Amino acid sequence: MEFVSIVFILAGLFFLIVAAIGVIRLPDVFSRSHAVSLTDSLGAFLMLVGIAFHEGLSKNVLKIIAVLALLYIQNPVIAHATVRAALRAGLKPWQRETS
Amino acid sequence: MRPISSQFLVLKTTALFILWVMLSGRFDLFHLGLGVSLSFLVAWINSGHSPFVPRFQIWGKILLYFPWLFTRIVQSSLHLTKLILHPRLPIQPRLIRYESTLQEPPAVVLLGNSITLTPGTITAEVNGQLLLVHAMDEVSGQDVTSRRLESKIADIFGEKAPSP
Repeated sequence: MEFVSIVFILAGLFFLIVAAIGVIRLPDVFSRSHAVSLTDSLGAFLMLVGIAFHEGLSKNVLKIIAVLALLYIQNPVIAHATVRAALRAGLKPWQRETS
Repeated sequence: MRPISSQFLVLKTTALFILWVMLSGRFDLFHLGLGVSLSFLVAWINSGHSPFVPRFQIWGKILLYFPWLFTRIVQSSLHLTKLILHPRLPIQPRLIRYESTLQEPPAVVLLGNSITLTPGTITAEVNGQLLLVHAMDEVSGQDVTSRRLESKIADIFGEKAPSP
C-alpha cells in the first residue's frame, strides 16, 4: 500500500515539474496557461490519489474526493477566465513564424 | 425574483449538508443543527439566481461521460508533456473558431468546460454558440475540430448529433 502511494505521488510530482518547466519555456500567456492546467488535471490528481492510498479507508478519503471534485470544477473556470481576460486585453497569441 | 423550485431547494440543502457533515465530522445535535440551518440558508439565498433545473434522466449519461473525458485528459496530458519536454519545443499555437450546434446553454457550458479541462485546448471566448478555442497544436485540437466531443455532449442532452 505504501509503495503504491509513493509511486502515485512521484508520478504526480513528475507532472508538476513538467508544468513548471512548461511555464518557463512556453512563449506567451495562452500557451503557458495550457501548462498550468496540466498541474490540476494530472499532477494534483495523481498526488491526491497517492495520499488517498496512504490514508487507507477513512473519512479523509471522502475529503480527498471532495477536493478532487472541486478542483476539476474550478480548474476550467480559472483557465477560461485568465485566457479570456488576456484576449480581451488585446494580447495576440504567439505564432511560429516559419509556418 | 424567480419562483423558487422547492425540489431544487431540498436537493441543494441536502448536498450542502452532506458536505458539512463530511468536513466537520461531528455528530452531536448542536453541530448537525447548525449544519442543517446554514445549508438551508445558503440554498435559500442562492435559489433565486439559478435558471438551471436538474433533469435526473441525463445524470446517468453524464456519469458515463466523465470516465471517457478522463481518458482523453490523460492522453492529451501525455501529448502536452511530450511537447513541453521536446528540445525544439514543436508547438504550433492557433485559435480555432468553432460554431457549435448545441441548443441548450448547459450543453454549451459542458462543452466549453470539457474543452478547457483537456490540457492543450482552452476555451478563450464563448458567445452564444460560437466558441473561440486556443489549441497548442493540431493534434491537441483534434477532438474539437473533428466534433467528436460535441457529438458526445449532444448525445447526453438528447440533441441531434452534429454533422462532421
